Amino acid sequence: MSTSTISVANVSKFYGEVLGVNRVSVEIQPGLTGLVGPNGSGKSTLMHLLCGLLRPTRGTISILGVPADRPEELFRLLGYCTQYDSFPNGATGYGFLTHTLALHGFDRSDADRRTREILERVGLVEAASRRIAGYSKGMRQRIKLAQAICHDPRVLILDEPLNGLDPMGRAEMIDLFKEFARNNRHVIVSSHILHEVDLISDGVIMIHGGSVVAEGSIRDVRGEITTQPLQVLVRCDRPQIVAAKAFELAHVVEAQIVDEATGVLLRTTDAQSFFPALAKIILTTGVEVETVTPADENVHAVYDYLIGDGGGGP
Amino acid sequence: MSGNNTHGWPLWRRQITVLARQEIGRSLLSKRSLAVYLLALMPIGLAALRALFLPESQLSHPAHTTSEFAQIFHFFILRFIVFFATALLFVKLFRGEILERSLHYHLLAPVRREVLTVGKYVGGLLSSSLMLGATVVVTIALFYLPHGSAGLSHLVSAAGLREIFAYLLITVLACAAYGALFLLAGLFFKNPMVPAVLFLGWEVLTPFLPGFLKALSVVHYLGSLEPVPISQGPFALMAQPVPGWLAVGALVLISAGLLAVAARTTRTLEITYASE
Repeated sequence: MSTSTISVANVSKFYGEVLGVNRVSVEIQPGLTGLVGPNGSGKSTLMHLLCGLLRPTRGTISILGVPADRPEELFRLLGYCTQYDSFPNGATGYGFLTHTLALHGFDRSDADRRTREILERVGLVEAASRRIAGYSKGMRQRIKLAQAICHDPRVLILDEPLNGLDPMGRAEMIDLFKEFARNNRHVIVSSHILHEVDLISDGVIMIHGGSVVAEGSIRDVRGEITTQPLQVLVRCDRPQIVAAKAFELAHVVEAQIVDEATGVLLRTTDAQSFFPALAKIILTTGVEVETVTPADENVHAVYDYLIGDGGGGP
Repeated sequence: MSGNNTHGWPLWRRQITVLARQEIGRSLLSKRSLAVYLLALMPIGLAALRALFLPESQLSHPAHTTSEFAQIFHFFILRFIVFFATALLFVKLFRGEILERSLHYHLLAPVRREVLTVGKYVGGLLSSSLMLGATVVVTIALFYLPHGSAGLSHLVSAAGLREIFAYLLITVLACAAYGALFLLAGLFFKNPMVPAVLFLGWEVLTPFLPGFLKALSVVHYLGSLEPVPISQGPFALMAQPVPGWLAVGALVLISAGLLAVAARTTRTLEITYASE
């Protein structure tokens, strides 16, 4: 078992006769990985399986070489911020964290010091002595996150961590995740807000109906979807000329002038031939090009093609 | 990675202490313990009423007090108060956290599930022993003290102290055995009070059961440790009393066995709050 990856091998989970996840096999490398899928697709089940809160009906899971059913070793490596918005009765923010750290084996003074540091990191110093039950939704998200990172884990799993946060809070948390993902650490984030997953993720795992439908970097996943023409936006001074020349190519199926004639959106069925041909057009026509960007190499488009109404699977 | 390098027994001991301390705080100081406090106060109230309405002729003669207390202890304190107080306290150790949807925080810590079970059990045992032990001591005191100097002399005599010690030992062992049973019930049943009432029925029937079936009850061993023999009524089937050492050993074994089953059950415990 690899000690640097998260390995899920042929894992299925059934609740009686109800399917949770089915034959999931993924290898997750260090970095920020987005887990996306519609409600009920199996995202939380997969996260629970990774953390040992659920046991697979079949298959094996190892986190950096540690099986998921060995909590004493696993939770020295892993922190999990669940979707559950519930806390021990009567707990204060401070008490909640010191208790968690005490269970990790930290002595009183170390636990106190770490608690203060983490509270500062998530911006809850002022509210530390208040009961969590009186916190706002955003503050509760932050204290859950603090609980997940207080022992400085190498793997951080976050189930809808941005729920309830205001825009400023979201930006701060995203920075925190990015910072955390550096130094060869794993951060796995589930979110139904695809724009945010796109912003933060190095790679994605798309899950639908309990099965993984795509896995890898957004570009690789998009490249595998051959049923949908690739969309490329060319911003230039004379988009009409580019559109006319590109439309002569057999693999270009659509050319559309966009944004008050400041660009042209081209759709091609052959990405490999397209870019050399586009370069030739630009050189021969002398058009001044500002940018050439893939328009659907993002989580939203890929999600739409694979899971939404945009098309079938790869 | 976690900067803490404590492993093995030193870590388990620390974790058990942390978990037990949390449970003691919850058991003694939270609102959920109100019912347990009310139960624990009932024998004290009964003893206070007895003291108030004690006939003058009996004031200076505590002769019957020992047997009176023995009856109250067996039929009221042990069979009713200790039974239901431990049910309320121990059932909530896991079930309470499942219902408030906070158990996962313990399962997300680097704590072996067996250590989690033992930590919670130790916390429940210490709090129940403290609460119910105090009830027993105060109730005994309220039984004897109205008899003035004669009552006080009995309490502080070697025989009186032996009685107090025996009743305290029975209370602690009852908390241990019933506690382990109810902790296990809390893991298996969504409404553990149903099996608790069924088990109470079994315990009540124990005196009327043949010897080999008596051995399957907790109260049979607890009764063997009582310092003053009590009558179980005309229909009770007599059985050879269990020697004290054997009764203590059996109760410790029952508690440990039930706790081991509970620990094994928590090893495969899954978090599916939606189904609760």
